[in-house]
Amino acid sequence: MTTHIARTSLAILSRSLALCTVGMLVASGCGSPAKYVETGSPQSIVSVGEVDMQDILKASSGMLESLIETGVLKTASAKPAQLVIDKVVNDTSSQFDVGELLYRMREQLVNSGQATVITTFGANAEDKTAQEQLRAQAFRQGNAVEGMPAPDFSLSGKITQVKRQAGNTQQSTYTFRLTLTNIRSGVEVWTKTVDMTKQGTKNSVGF
Amino acid sequence: MNRFPRYPAVAAVPATAILAIALVAAALTACGSVNTTYTRTTPSATAVPTNTQVNDALTQIFLRAGEVRMFPSKGGPLEVQVDVINNGFSYRGFSYRFDWVDANGSVIPSQVSVWKTSNVPSGGSTTIRAIAPSESATDFRLQVRRADE
Repeated sequence: MTTHIARTSLAILSRSLALCTVGMLVASGCGSPAKYVETGSPQSIVSVGEVDMQDILKASSGMLESLIETGVLKTASAKPAQLVIDKVVNDTSSQFDVGELLYRMREQLVNSGQATVITTFGANAEDKTAQEQLRAQAFRQGNAVEGMPAPDFSLSGKITQVKRQAGNTQQSTYTFRLTLTNIRSGVEVWTKTVDMTKQGTKNSVGF
Repeated sequence: MNRFPRYPAVAAVPATAILAIALVAAALTACGSVNTTYTRTTPSATAVPTNTQVNDALTQIFLRAGEVRMFPSKGGPLEVQVDVINNGFSYRGFSYRFDWVDANGSVIPSQVSVWKTSNVPSGGSTTIRAIAPSESATDFRLQVRRADE
């Protein structure tokens, strides 16, 4: 009797193991293997309710094109124009770093010689250590005002989202808006909005 | 008596079938199609000649580039505008990317050259545009790809 129970248990165990093995083989065969895709390419994942990398690249490109097209940076007293990056608020439900947008813009403007970015200016200075060092150096030399950087423009902005739904279909419109302010006059000299609307019932691969 | 003596193949098709085909074609064309009104009948002063290498025949059949204009923007670097025309029967999405090249023909790497998307209604057109990253850009290359549907 005991031998019969043992044999039955062994048979069940071996069948379960065989089923698991077949299941794993099927699962590994059906899934798509990981691969590299070009960042922001039409092979990227499109999310209905999130800001995707291609959205950030598109927004960055649109902002840069507008800045270059208007020639506003050429109106600065300094050559190249000196910029300070102020706050850009992400007011969407999607979690992402606004630096993804801003650093791409900075890369293009700074590396092409169209602007420089001052990271030691104001209350939101990006590099506090360098700012302190600069202040101490200016104080020691007795020119606390003249020794400090004097940027031409301040860049600020906001990213917002409008969500709507009809049945199972969701729609999200993300609006990226940036503003350039002349620091000496306090006047807005450039502003740009870039919209993108995504609609669907679920996320997909490719666009 | 044969009503189409010069076209025997047409004569073999009943008139009702021809009428039905014509009605279906008209209906397909009418679904969501747009009508466009314009006054210009000649190419614009900034229109430039282009060459297109076709690798996707369907894209070429339904989506085609119309007039291409290139001129200096207010800030100095070139601006390009391309009219994309949809000859198909439905709303069509596509993605595109402009790459800019210098006088030597070398591509200028930049953050402005990214894949973007656009849509164009049946029978309508849309204008896609791009600004060169710097004044060293003298020409462009445009890649257009049908959207995944």
